[in-house]
Amino acid sequence: MTLILESLPYLLRGALSTVVMSLAVIGVGTALGVLLGVLRFVPWRWLAEALGWAIELARAVPLLLLMFFIFFGLPALGVRIPTYPAAVLAMSLWMMVNTAEVVRGGIQSIPKGQFEAARSVGLGWLAMMRYVIFPQAVRRMLPSFVGLCTILVKDTSLAAIIGVFELTRAAQETIERTLRSFEIYLVAAAIYFVICFPLTQLAQRAEARLHRP
Amino acid sequence: MTSGPTAYSFEWAAIWRGLPYLIQGAGLTVFISVIAMVLAVLLGLVLAALSQAPGRWPRGVVRGYVEIFRNTPLLIQIFIVYFGLPQLGFRLSPFLSGLSALVLYAAAYNTETFRAGLEAVPRGQHDAAASAGLTPLQAMRFVIAPQAVRIAFPALGNNLVSLVKNSSLVSTIGMVELMFVANDISFNNFRTFEIYGAAAVLYVILVLGLTRLLGLAEVRLVRAS
Repeated sequence: MTLILESLPYLLRGALSTVVMSLAVIGVGTALGVLLGVLRFVPWRWLAEALGWAIELARAVPLLLLMFFIFFGLPALGVRIPTYPAAVLAMSLWMMVNTAEVVRGGIQSIPKGQFEAARSVGLGWLAMMRYVIFPQAVRRMLPSFVGLCTILVKDTSLAAIIGVFELTRAAQETIERTLRSFEIYLVAAAIYFVICFPLTQLAQRAEARLHRP
Repeated sequence: MTSGPTAYSFEWAAIWRGLPYLIQGAGLTVFISVIAMVLAVLLGLVLAALSQAPGRWPRGVVRGYVEIFRNTPLLIQIFIVYFGLPQLGFRLSPFLSGLSALVLYAAAYNTETFRAGLEAVPRGQHDAAASAGLTPLQAMRFVIAPQAVRIAFPALGNNLVSLVKNSSLVSTIGMVELMFVANDISFNNFRTFEIYGAAAVLYVILVLGLTRLLGLAEVRLVRAS
């Protein structure tokens, strides 16, 4: 118990880093992901098709591999990126393509009549997306988007593998000193839980509200 | 492109030399994923059914399990099983550690998916089953569960696809699969770009293949109903 209390400040510093990193990734990834997701519906068929394929392919690659590719693979080409930006870059890419997928689901769930109505009042594609389609679709995207953010917070733990300081890395370092892996990982898990559980509840509430008439 | 002493030359040969091992690794990823999928689906079905049992306890216990495993990172779960449990006297091999963590994590998502499916089956179906003289267990087995599985199938498919990608995490405790093999080769020949690139292509093939398979299964499931 004293062990846990003694190591708690260090773990909490790791947790702070986890939260900061998550917020940065969610900010960058969401902005780019929304853009990418909406661009999938551009009237130029070939561009929409190509973006769809790129998103599909990128989503099929595990995040850990993406991170290793950026951190270990790119230096071979002379592009050397330090651990922290490499992890943030990999996770932002991941967040971007997965957000784009959520956006696609939301936009596709909007009835065709809305698109036709927007067109018939003379709106261009951009205005239609901006003022008619996207505002309606956001409500439907919310539950899956919050779910995505929860997964991202958990997946920031992968950054520890390439040596970024965050909660999991803080736990590993504490264990190297104390050799009490069971207790320390359990405390780390509890801290992740405290961050993620409210998000899961929020997603559930958004989902419930969606199905209420 | 400037060519100097530091210029990198892409080497196809590195991929060809590594490919047989990478394909073996991909085979192991499929092997692990399939075992984990079967166990995680069964566990998810049982727990979801249990959560519908009368009384507060079963529901509460299932809820607790789902929330704990859904809201903590898989990586930490793997580390607790592999590095933490030996401290309490349970020593599992990397294979069993990785597999059990993968199953427990995926089963939490599956339980939630099936539970949502069960609760989406209209109330009238329960009443109809009861009035036809089926016991609650028979009603679940023959009337409710088949409909719930159909409703839950698309979400279940997403869980299974995630499982394949998540299986890459077990490489961190030394379980041999595609990610482990890719690390192993590229740390030896320093052809990181080519080898990780090839591994990514193999993951894409596995994941898109599974997505295709699930799509076909869904079509059949819908036709069967």
